[in-house]
Amino acid sequence: MNKDQLLSDIREANLTYLMLAQNLIRSDRTEALFRLGLSEDSADLIAQLSPAQILKLSQNNLLLCRFRVDDDLVWSLLTSHTTATTEAGAAGKLHASILMAGRFAEAL
Amino acid sequence: MATKSVLNDFRQVQRATALIQLGARLQVLESVTDLSYERLLRLYKEVAGQSPSKGQLPFSTDWFLTWQPNIHASLFINLYRYLDKASALDDIDVIMKAYSLYSEQVGQCAVEPLLSITRAWRLVQFIDNQMLTVTPCTRCGGHFVTDIYVNPRTHVCGLCAPPARAGKSAGAGGIHLH
Repeated sequence: MNKDQLLSDIREANLTYLMLAQNLIRSDRTEALFRLGLSEDSADLIAQLSPAQILKLSQNNLLLCRFRVDDDLVWSLLTSHTTATTEAGAAGKLHASILMAGRFAEAL
Repeated sequence: MATKSVLNDFRQVQRATALIQLGARLQVLESVTDLSYERLLRLYKEVAGQSPSKGQLPFSTDWFLTWQPNIHASLFINLYRYLDKASALDDIDVIMKAYSLYSEQVGQCAVEPLLSITRAWRLVQFIDNQMLTVTPCTRCGGHFVTDIYVNPRTHVCGLCAPPARAGKSAGAGGIHLH
């Protein structure tokens, strides 16, 4: 995979992300704030973007979205059970969900 | 009610219908809407296709503190608190939104939703009236539903330190630990 292709992949991911975010915010704002982990201000901003603006924004060599948790514990909970049975994974997944929902309640 | 607003009436019916579809008991509807008992009863029969279940609402705070229900309740309360902060909706609307997010998250893990909408509504009331509280776990930092007398400096949640017999039940749809 050469560099040009990687960069165009990044732009495509940006475009997909922005379009998805806009759809989420427009269909149900409150739920979208939770799902995207965005602040109200940035959600308003994204909702108001025109298609041309979205296209322009996505033509960037940097990814516009990033990981929502900088937390080893949550990552280990989400990843460690994938090899085990799906039944045992449920507890870890639920634990991670509780932690993630809690972090955002603190951050706002 | 001084003047009867048709629009307001419509909203109330809409809200009551959504609650019935989520499985709420009639007492919940009576408490969160201004509609009369007779109208609610008729609405209930029309939406659910059966008479509402009778009897008292679950009143125990202990249920929320046992291992498996506590995980469900804690997940719900974290979602509820997030949405409550992030939005300017009415309390019952936030509960309904948080409940549907909760059912979705639990369903994704192939676990039966143990918490009913009625219990979820009661849980919010219990916390508002300081019969239960939310305490952060000292190990993972997650917020969990606890008794109000729990020491926040030593509290460890049921997922960081599961009790001896937790997660061993054979029943499908529960949370399993191995």
